[in-house]
Amino acid sequence: MSAIELPAAPHSGVDRSSSLCGALRELARQPRVWVGGTILLVAMLLAVFAPWIAPHDPLDQDLLHMLAPPAWAPDGSASYPLGTDGLGRCVLSRAIFGARVALTVAIAAAWGSMLLGSTLALLGGYFGGLVDRLISYVVDLWMSFPPVVLSLILLVGLGTGIDKVVLAVVLVDWTRFCRVVRADVLVTRRRDFVLAAQLIGFSHWRTMLREVLPAVVPLMITLFSIEMGIAIVVEATLSFIGLSVPPQITTWGQMLADARNDMQSAVWVLLTPVACIIVTVLACNLLGDGVRIALDPRLRQRVA
Amino acid sequence: MLAIDNLTLSCQIDGRRIDLLRNLSVSLARGRVLGLVGESGAGKSMIGRIIAGHTPPGFEVTQGRVLFDGADLLSLERKAWRALLGRRIAFIPQEPLTALNPVLTIGQTFDEHLAHLGVAPRERRASMLRQFDAVHLPKPDDMLRRYPHELSGGQCQRVLIAMAFVANPALIVADEPTTALDVVSQVNVLRLLAEQRRQHETAMLLITHDLRLAAHVCDDIAVLYAGEQVEYGPARDVLRRSRHPYTWALDQATPDVHGKPRRLSALSGQMPGVSAMGSITGCRFAPRCPQRLAACEAEPPPSIESAPGHWVRCLKPRDVASNSTDNARESAAATWQAPNDNISGTPLIELRDATLCYTARRGLFGQRKVRNFAVEGLSLAVQPGEFVGIVGESGSGKSSVAKLIVGAEALTGGMLLIEGRDRALANAEVRRLNREHVQMIFQDPHSALNPRRSVYRLLTQAYEAGHAVATMTEQPRNGRAQELLADVGLPRDMLPRFPGQLSGGQKQRVNIGRALCVMPRLIVADEIVSGLDVSVQAQILNLLIELGRRHGIALVLISHDLSVVRYLCSRVVVMQRGKVVEQGKTEQVFSDPQHAYTRLLLSSVPPADPTVPWPPAIH
Repeated sequence: MSAIELPAAPHSGVDRSSSLCGALRELARQPRVWVGGTILLVAMLLAVFAPWIAPHDPLDQDLLHMLAPPAWAPDGSASYPLGTDGLGRCVLSRAIFGARVALTVAIAAAWGSMLLGSTLALLGGYFGGLVDRLISYVVDLWMSFPPVVLSLILLVGLGTGIDKVVLAVVLVDWTRFCRVVRADVLVTRRRDFVLAAQLIGFSHWRTMLREVLPAVVPLMITLFSIEMGIAIVVEATLSFIGLSVPPQITTWGQMLADARNDMQSAVWVLLTPVACIIVTVLACNLLGDGVRIALDPRLRQRVA
Repeated sequence: MLAIDNLTLSCQIDGRRIDLLRNLSVSLARGRVLGLVGESGAGKSMIGRIIAGHTPPGFEVTQGRVLFDGADLLSLERKAWRALLGRRIAFIPQEPLTALNPVLTIGQTFDEHLAHLGVAPRERRASMLRQFDAVHLPKPDDMLRRYPHELSGGQCQRVLIAMAFVANPALIVADEPTTALDVVSQVNVLRLLAEQRRQHETAMLLITHDLRLAAHVCDDIAVLYAGEQVEYGPARDVLRRSRHPYTWALDQATPDVHGKPRRLSALSGQMPGVSAMGSITGCRFAPRCPQRLAACEAEPPPSIESAPGHWVRCLKPRDVASNSTDNARESAAATWQAPNDNISGTPLIELRDATLCYTARRGLFGQRKVRNFAVEGLSLAVQPGEFVGIVGESGSGKSSVAKLIVGAEALTGGMLLIEGRDRALANAEVRRLNREHVQMIFQDPHSALNPRRSVYRLLTQAYEAGHAVATMTEQPRNGRAQELLADVGLPRDMLPRFPGQLSGGQKQRVNIGRALCVMPRLIVADEIVSGLDVSVQAQILNLLIELGRRHGIALVLISHDLSVVRYLCSRVVVMQRGKVVEQGKTEQVFSDPQHAYTRLLLSSVPPADPTVPWPPAIH
């Protein structure tokens, strides 16, 4: 009652949580969003235009230049900027082509798990009761399975291919979305404006889409970008053990697996995919963090 | 004991210096009580924080002194200052539940406090028990082992009072100590505070928004408006012979439980926020003042002593020589139109022997069922155009009644009829009746408005519902929005705004407007003014009366505030623990209460006349 409004309050409360423009402006102000977004954008451009950017075909073997060191090393060659691997393939080209699989899986899997997980979370959180108990029970059961084992089993059953990898990641990771989004739906559901909409005559479907969903979208966007990072790591793990895609498609995990044999003599072959994975995953997490801070006014004040 | 001398607290906003508190001067002698009265945003809590040395970052005292026992706190060293806190100066916070650490038992918290005061470990337990006994806490032994959430708000406040008085302080700063409590525990806590103060001869600084309460409890009162001390003097004089137009308006805007019913005169507008304060050069009350002069806007008026010890900061203080307060009351009573209580016909809504019972499942597999009655055997009929009030403490089941009527909860037993049709049938016809005839205004306007919708989309949200309501198909959405704005008294430029940009009173108006959109025949209003300031509350109450007259809407008003119910409603229902203990015509119930609980509730409201002793002695 008697708490005096702090001078920051009238300015910060305005526009931001309420309008799309404000949210975008806030996003643009976050350095994390800039850094993460830029890295991901560059990676995506590289992936899309890989055939034109990469100096070589990723599968071309130059048997004369096996394990050639990077260009800046004493006996490096300018035609292989990051050197070649044990089969004489250009490491840079393979890294660029590897981004295609990594980003495809990341985006598709994140979409899939977001759609599946959030839909179930909305249904469970909104209707509560038996529906919610059922969904939560399935999530609990699902999460008690070690994720790596689960995806291995799925891939063994499904076979290899990018679509199968995406499916495996979705089937493993939808639970994350479901749990986190459900908690947010439960909180929003209890706000009076949801009851108000129902009293006005909104159907359940309409209340869910118009009143509850917009409130949880920021959280979904945040989870989405984090999920992208996770999907990249999972895909790398699966292709490392050769369960992800057919061998003629280059992936970062595959490069890691191939580089193992020459780890002592040619460390750059190993370091390149490692660096690729780290930078992309970091970018995803930075972006997710930035989005979260930008869209959650409470967090923004604490950090700023 | 305590003297605040010409204190100014400032902060910088956008490079400008804004005085949040301006030239505040009050003094408090040993064993006396000084009330700081003001609406939210007046800066009254800042004074408590200055004394505690907890001014928020960005704020600083730019002028003046705070003398405690002759020493200026502000020039004192931090360490010496901090040594005073808890020992010589004790604090009683506003929210008793949040002031206690939830993971520590009461005993642990108290023990820590005593350790801070330097009490030997051996003596602590005895001291705690003695103190709990003094504040009349039942089973002090047991209390030490309890956690804060196991206690009621009143009990928590007692614990905090016990902790505050244990060091035998010379000064107690109590910041809204009873605001979070029920009316009945409010009286008990005030009584306890008075008793403890007398025993310890402690001076008290009572910060409150309730002018009448302050007039009864305090010896002197300082009234704050937007950081300015507008009036300061003996408590009774400030209430009965208010000289500043703001103090007077505050009292005029407060409804009574006794005496002749009168129309509330509400101040228009609202108190300027911190950033707006900077742009007012003169008297900060001038923009809302009904009798402002040109000179008022030029520079801040000086504080003049209008009667011995009675200071007022106004160029044109009210003339109190003639019995003007009484005259004003008379004329306000003359313009009063009694609520329409002569209504008959088919009840709009009728509850017959309604019961709402929550079943909680306990045990590992939910095998044990615990039944909890929120409403038990309630019968209530609301006629068209009738205003019915439901009063009771929190936990009396009054909000559950609201949920039952609007259909947010299903009855566990009994019947609910809408225009004579049983809602349990739940066919399309009943659903339509329910939707078109019963709407609700919510308690917390903040939570009730989707922050992502603009005022336009909030007011006319019903247009998105996908079914045609008779009143809506006739005109376009935009026209209806304009009409609703006018109905609830909001300016036209509000439509594109978002709830985050509105004040509490404006939000509540939007809330009312949204309920009006489908032209319901009954509105259920759950504690809709409890979060608002007195002057805004009066605006909303008058708005409801006007809307009821204009559109013939019936209202079920749920409130813990008896004076509000008396002002609006022709019939009242008193509830206690889910049951109706008394109901009847408002005037009859209030002037001649039959049930002991109704009498208790009525005696808990501070009367308008400061000469009537209050809080009442224990019967």
